[in-house]
Amino acid sequence: MTAADTAGGAAGADTGAHARADMIVCEGVSKWFGDFQALDGITATIAEREVVVVLGPSGSGKSTWIRCINHLEHHQEGRIVVDGVELTNDLRNIEQIRSEVGMVFQQFNLFPHLTVLGNITLAPIWVRKKPRREAEAAARALLERVGIPEQAEKYPGQLSGGQQQRVAIARALAMDPRVMLFDEPTSALDPEMIKEVLDVMKGLARSGMTMMVVTHEMGFAREVADRVVFMEEGQIVETGTPEHFFTSPAEDRTKQFLSQIL
Amino acid sequence: MADPHFGLERHDPEGFSLTAAVDSAPPDEPSLPVGEWLRKNLFSSPFNTVLTLVFTVVALAGLRGLLNFAFSEERNWDAVRVNLRLLFTQAYPEDQYIRVWVSVGIVVALSGLSLGLWARLSGVPVARVAMWSMTAGGLIALGVVLREPSAVSGPDGDPMRDAAGEVIRQSFGAAMGDRIWWWLAAAVLFGVGAGLWRGFEDERRRHTYVPTIPLVFGSLGVVVATLWLYRWGHYAFTGNEFVYEPDRTAALSTKLPWTVMWLLLMASWAAGRQGRGTPAEGRLKVLVNLAWLLSPFILFWVVLRDPAIDWAHVWSTDLPMAAGFVIGGGAVLYGLTRPGIGEVGRVIAVGLLAFAGFNWVAAFAGWYPMLQKARFGFLLLALAALLAPNFTGERAQRLRLVWGWAGAMTVVQYLVTMANTESTLNTPTSEFLGGFSVTLFVAVFTLIFSFPLGVLLALGRTSKLPIFRVLSTAYIEAMRGIPLITVLFFFANMLNLFLPQNMELGSVAAVTVGFSLFAAAYLAENVRGGLQAVGRSQYEASDAVGLTTVQRTMFIVLPQGLRVSIPPLVGQVISTFKETSLLAVIGIFDFLFLANRAIPSQSEFLGVKREGLLFVSIVYWIFAFSMSKYSQRLERRLGVGER
Ligand SMILES: Nc1ncnc2c1ncn2[C@@H]1O[C@H](COP(=O)(O)OP(=O)(O)OP(=O)(O)O)[C@@H](O)[C@H]1O
Ligand SMILES: [Mg+2]
Repeated sequence: MTAADTAGGAAGADTGAHARADMIVCEGVSKWFGDFQALDGITATIAEREVVVVLGPSGSGKSTWIRCINHLEHHQEGRIVVDGVELTNDLRNIEQIRSEVGMVFQQFNLFPHLTVLGNITLAPIWVRKKPRREAEAAARALLERVGIPEQAEKYPGQLSGGQQQRVAIARALAMDPRVMLFDEPTSALDPEMIKEVLDVMKGLARSGMTMMVVTHEMGFAREVADRVVFMEEGQIVETGTPEHFFTSPAEDRTKQFLSQIL
Repeated sequence: MADPHFGLERHDPEGFSLTAAVDSAPPDEPSLPVGEWLRKNLFSSPFNTVLTLVFTVVALAGLRGLLNFAFSEERNWDAVRVNLRLLFTQAYPEDQYIRVWVSVGIVVALSGLSLGLWARLSGVPVARVAMWSMTAGGLIALGVVLREPSAVSGPDGDPMRDAAGEVIRQSFGAAMGDRIWWWLAAAVLFGVGAGLWRGFEDERRRHTYVPTIPLVFGSLGVVVATLWLYRWGHYAFTGNEFVYEPDRTAALSTKLPWTVMWLLLMASWAAGRQGRGTPAEGRLKVLVNLAWLLSPFILFWVVLRDPAIDWAHVWSTDLPMAAGFVIGGGAVLYGLTRPGIGEVGRVIAVGLLAFAGFNWVAAFAGWYPMLQKARFGFLLLALAALLAPNFTGERAQRLRLVWGWAGAMTVVQYLVTMANTESTLNTPTSEFLGGFSVTLFVAVFTLIFSFPLGVLLALGRTSKLPIFRVLSTAYIEAMRGIPLITVLFFFANMLNLFLPQNMELGSVAAVTVGFSLFAAAYLAENVRGGLQAVGRSQYEASDAVGLTTVQRTMFIVLPQGLRVSIPPLVGQVISTFKETSLLAVIGIFDFLFLANRAIPSQSEFLGVKREGLLFVSIVYWIFAFSMSKYSQRLERRLGVGER
C-alpha cells in the first residue's frame, strides 16, 4: 500500500523539478536490525539541485535511511542508485559514492587529533589525490565560506559547537561532493549557535547543492526545502512541497505529528 | 566515627586537572599551621591517632633497619666502588673506552636538544623547593638519630669485640658527636628550606617559580664540581688489579668525561632552545626524533662495536645491492602509487610478496644462497608494495614516499652491513656488552621490535578479517600463557636450531628476540584497549569522507588509539626494563648477574653480595621512577588542546 502511495506522492511533488536529472534513486529499500524492520520499502527520487527535508518522529528510520545512501548502513532489499552508480557490495562502487556524497553528523564527528586544516584536507589529499598546497588553499577558501577563516590552525576541542559543525560542513564540502547529507546537524547545538549553522546550509542550498536534511528546524524546512518527506515506522507517509505539507497535509499521521511539534 | 580515609587523604601536587592548568588556577587553600594540619589529617579521632602512631613506629623501625644495614661496619662498599665500571660496561676494553663516552655523549646531546626543543617547564614553585629542602634535612637528621651508634674500631681498623664476640659500640652521645657533619648538612638543608618558606608570603610562595632548567643544571653542576673538589677517592679494578686510593679526588678518567657531559648537556639545550620558534623548528624536531630512533642501532652496532669494514666487499656487494634496493625499489613504488593503477598494482604487489616468501622457503630448505639482507629487503619491498595503492597521489606526494623508502632502505642496508661485519673489539667473549649496558641493550631493542609487532597484533585482533583475528588471538593467548623465563630459556638455547642456514644469533640477540616476541603479546593487549576506545563515530566519519581501511587505520584510528594507550604502554616499558634482570638466571652477564655472581667470586670480595644487590636495586629504581614520572608529564601534555 505504502509503496504505491509514496510513488504517487513523489511523482506529484516532482513536477517542479522534472527537467533535472535524478541524483538519488531509492526503490523499495528495506532494512532490518535483527528482527526489527527499520526501513520498510522506501521509494523516493531526489533530483539534482533539490533540497529535501526529512521529518518524522524519533525512531522512524530517518537516520537509517540517510545513512544507507552513503553505505554507513547497508540495506538488505531494494536498490539505491546515487548519481548513476548503484550501491552494491562492490567496494569500488562504495568508495566512489562515498567520495561524491558528503555527510554531516549530529555530533560533528571531527577528528580530534588533527587541526581544523588537517580535518578538511585529509580526504582531498589521500582520496582525491590533490596536491597538498592546493588542498590547503581550497580548505582556507571553504573556511572563509563557512565564516571561520581564523580557526584553521586550532584543534576541534578548542572550538564552540557551532564552529565545529561548520568545520564539519567544510570537511564534507572539501571533497567537492555532488550530494550533501545532513543528519540533525543542529540538534546538538545551543540555540544561539543554531542560526550560524543554518545560515551556512541556506547558502549552500542557494548555490545549487543537492541536499538531504534530517532536521527538526521547521523554519529551515519552510524556507529552503523544495520538498518535505514525512516518515513513520520505516515508511514514507507523505511527501510534498513545504507549503502543501505545512498547510494542508493529506494524512492523519502527518497532521498528528505536526500538531505535536508546531 | 573513624574517618574512612584513615587520615591519609592529601592533595597530590602533581595531580592538577588539565583545564585548571590551562585556564584558571584552582582557588588556593590557605596553608594550615603545622599543628593544625597534623590534628586535622593524622589525629582527627582516637582510631586515627592509634593508626598514625602504629604506622609511624613501623616506618621508623623499617628505616632504622635499612640504615643499619647500609652503613653497618660489615658492609664492604668497596665491592661496588671498585667495580663500578664492571657493573656498567663489564669487560669493555680500556683502550677503546672513549667509544663508551662518545655513546653517552650522543645520548646526553640528544637529551639536551630535546629539552631545548620540547620541554615546557614552567618552573618549580618556591613552596615545593622549600618543602623538598626541609624534608631532606629532616630525613637526614632522622637517619642520624635512628642509625645505631658506630662500632669502636680497634688498632687494626676492624671493629672491637667484647668477650662474647659482640661488636662494641660507641655511647649514643659520642656517636651523635661523631656525626657532626651530618648534623650540619641536615641543619643547612632544613635552614635553607625554612628560610625560603618564611621569606615568601602564602600567595607568592605558591606562585613564585624557580626556573627548572637552572635548578637542574645547577644541581648537576654542583655534583660535577664535587668530583674535582671533594676527596671521593679513586677506586678501580683494572683487569686483575684492585686500586684503592682513598685520599684524593676522583680519577681524571671519571671527572673529565662527566664535566664534558655536563657542558654538552647545557650546550645542546641552548642549541635546541635557539631552534625553538624559528621556521625550521618543525624540521628540527623531526630530525631529533629520527636521531633518537636511529641512535640505539648506531651506538650499539657502529660506535660501540667498531666494525672492521671490508672495503672490497662493500664495493663489490654491499653498495651495489643497497643501490639496487634504493633505486629499483623506489622506482617500483613510484610506479605503484600512480593514481588509477588499480588491479595491476595489486597483482604486482602480490607477485612481489610471493617472490619474497619463496626466498625464505628457499632459505630454510637450503635451495639457493642469498644474502639474508636481500631476503629482508625483498620482504620489505613487497609489504610496501601491498600498501602502495592506499597512498597514490600527485607527483610530489609520490616522490615524498619514494624518498622515504630510499632513506629507510639506505639506513637498513647500512646497519645490517655493519651488524654483519666483524667487531675489532678485543673482548674476552664474543659479546662486547655486559652489566648495565646489556640490560639497556635488551630493554631498548625489545621496545623497538615489540612495539610495531604489538601494534600489528592489536590491529589483527581487532580486524574484521577472521584469518588475521584468529592468528593474532592465538599468538597473543599462547604467549601470555607461557612464563617469560621459559620463553627466554627456549630462545637462548634453541632459537638457532630454527633459523635458516648460515644465520646465527649470539645469546644476547637471541634472548632479545624472545623478549620482543613475549612483550609484543602484552603490548598488543594494551594497544587493543586504546584502539577500542576510538569511538564508532570516528570510523563513520572516516568512511563518510571515503578513506580506505588502511588509510583510516593509519590516519585516524592508530593516532587516537595509541594516545590513549600511552599510560599502560609506559607501564609495560618499565616492567620490561625490570624483567631484563631475568637474563641473570639464564647466565647472561647482565647488571644483576654481575652483582649477584661475578663480584662475589672476585678474590678480593669473596661472598660480598648484599652491597651490590642494594646498589643494583637503587639504579633500577632510579630508571623506573624517572620513566614513570616522564610518562605522567607526557600524558598531561598530550591531553592539552587536542581533545
Ligand atoms: N544499530 C542498530 N541496531 C539495532 N537497532 C537500530 C540500530 N540503529 C537504529 N536502530 C533502530 O532503528 C530504528 C530507526 O532508527 P533511526 O536512528 O533511523 O531513527 P531516527 O528516525 O533517526 O530517530 P531520531 O529522530 O531519534 O534520530 C529505531 O527504532 C532504532 O532503535
Ligand atoms: Mg536519527
